Amino acid sequence: MQQSNTYIIVYSAVLTIVLGLLLSGSSQLLGPMQQEAIALDKKKQILGAVISGEELAAMTPEEVNELYASRISSTVVNISGEEIKEEGLTAEKVEVAKDYKKAAEERAYPVYIFHAAGNPEAVDSYVFPLYGAGLWDAIWGYVALETDMNTIGGITLAHAGETPGLGARITESGVQARYVGKKIFDESGALITVIMQKGEGKDYDDELHKVDGMSGATITANGVNAMLKSYLSHYEAYIKSKSTAAPEAVAAL
Amino acid sequence: MSTETLEKVIEKKPAEPLFSKRRKKLVTDPLIDDNPITIQVLGICSALAVTTQLKPTLVMAISVIFVIALANFVISIMRNTIPARVRIIVQLAVVATLVTLVSEILKAFAYDMYKELSVFIGLIITNCIVMGRLEAFAMGNKPYDSILDGLGSALGYSWIILTVAFFRELLGSGSVFGIPVYSYISSLFGPDFKLATNGLMVSPVGAFIILGLIVWVQRTKTGYVEH
Amino acid sequence: MELFSLGIRSIFIDNMIFAYFLGMCSFLAVSKKVSTAVGLGAAVVFVLGVTVPLNWILNEFVLKEGALTWVSASLLTIDLSFLRFIMFIAVIAGTVQLVEMIIEKFSPALYGQLGIFLPLIAVNCAILGGGLFMAQRDYTLAESGVYGFGSGLGFMLAIVLLAAIRERLKYSQVPDGLKGLGITMLLTGLMGIAFMSFMGIDL
Repeated sequence: MQQSNTYIIVYSAVLTIVLGLLLSGSSQLLGPMQQEAIALDKKKQILGAVISGEELAAMTPEEVNELYASRISSTVVNISGEEIKEEGLTAEKVEVAKDYKKAAEERAYPVYIFHAAGNPEAVDSYVFPLYGAGLWDAIWGYVALETDMNTIGGITLAHAGETPGLGARITESGVQARYVGKKIFDESGALITVIMQKGEGKDYDDELHKVDGMSGATITANGVNAMLKSYLSHYEAYIKSKSTAAPEAVAAL
Repeated sequence: MSTETLEKVIEKKPAEPLFSKRRKKLVTDPLIDDNPITIQVLGICSALAVTTQLKPTLVMAISVIFVIALANFVISIMRNTIPARVRIIVQLAVVATLVTLVSEILKAFAYDMYKELSVFIGLIITNCIVMGRLEAFAMGNKPYDSILDGLGSALGYSWIILTVAFFRELLGSGSVFGIPVYSYISSLFGPDFKLATNGLMVSPVGAFIILGLIVWVQRTKTGYVEH
Repeated sequence: MELFSLGIRSIFIDNMIFAYFLGMCSFLAVSKKVSTAVGLGAAVVFVLGVTVPLNWILNEFVLKEGALTWVSASLLTIDLSFLRFIMFIAVIAGTVQLVEMIIEKFSPALYGQLGIFLPLIAVNCAILGGGLFMAQRDYTLAESGVYGFGSGLGFMLAIVLLAAIRERLKYSQVPDGLKGLGITMLLTGLMGIAFMSFMGIDL
């Protein structure tokens, strides 16, 4: 059957309005929950660098929020390690992925400070965000440095689209655990960071700047290495300004 | 494209039982004999992209069941008012709305899954099964029948992708629903015994090969031959 | 140079078919003859090449969070990205309609051959997928043009290659149950292995 043009136009208009209302209604309704889910996801990633994944997975969203609020404080620094004090600027608001497109000198660098349990004055570790490119798409994560500002306390890594079973293994706790206890500076105080090696199954326990690789995922591993190196070098000024606990490294400068 | 096989339902008696034989057939036919993936060759894109692991596949399957059944229902209600010339775009608009709803809900309540499925949730819109069922069935049948038809097709789709995912996860990552089956099995044979996983299975290639084999087995059983 | 490597990536490495399984329906249905495959491939190249930048414009100036600031600065917090699916698919359906009319006018022969497959491009996952990947990866306008065109070429390459193989396949003794879809999937798998070798290219 052939309808008149008026019918078609009116029909389309009504349909558009109905569907539009439905969609904006649902988006209004679910919006706050989505924001919360996104914020919670970020907090989990940050906390993942300082506490174990299993412990984190067992926590309810309320417990995660509670832990984050009580133990983490944050600040934003620039590339020279100076704190940026700006109205309305908080570490949580800095979107590392968006800043990634800017020149390194123009970015804002959030720092998350993890305080010792029961003593909000004492610092347990510093958590820095990471962002870079893997094989297919973006990879990102957080690395925690102990108060000597040299030893890695933990790392979380995440990815947008690495190959499952190969590059995507960077999200496994077993792979991330390889970084714990490694050092980022050598004895002379030069930034070496930690390099994931090609191939898998070798023992790197005695090597301070190397970790075992993931077989079949060398390009992703290279991406992780590059990301770690670039972000730690952007934070180098800040890290050195805080590293009073490692006198020999500072003295060598 | 719809390889239309269902004839228009012949006139019905006024009081057909809720689960009459014909209605049961609407649901069971697409499971084996007229399976949307293996026989009609529809909706393969999304079938393969998410099947490296069972969990996202299950979420995908549930989303597809929801979208197809509801889209069939809505279009069937509207079928006598839809202007013929803008038919496709009306259908697309309805499907796109439903898919957006699914994606918004996932984003709010299962953010981890939302991240993992990323663009593939959106691609349910272009899943040919959805459009195929709308064109072939919902445009000419009553709402309740349409829901059943949609459920049937969606279930036929779901069990295939879950089977593919089962083999890909088991052979590729050595686990089922994230449970490391391989390490349990190998621990039975002592500490030095290790089952190797096959990296090819997690790559797209594994999906193609497994689906090809499933099609072979299934068609040999049903005796369906494509010419 | 960046753009060039993005183009190479989207054709060979991030191939729509072999890496993301997008556009499989038409890939399987229209790959029986090389000539039809070339026609469909060309249509996909064109539609992807046009719709990805078009959707980029839509996304950048209407849908993204804060995209409407060019209308008024007070709209900074408006986020319409929940309309992304429906808007993208509308742009695609419109463009496809246009392509259909153009082909019908200028090449009735091709139109007759592609027949019902042209409207199907609208529901080809590759087209919508191209748009969604573009939005997810935050490409610039130039990048999205190259990406759309490149991934279209990648699809065309895959479908033409498969059609060529399937034409030869007619002379082979394939087991009954494997005929058609089964053997095509296995073939695609083998082609996928061949395409994996491109992953080693360092771009």
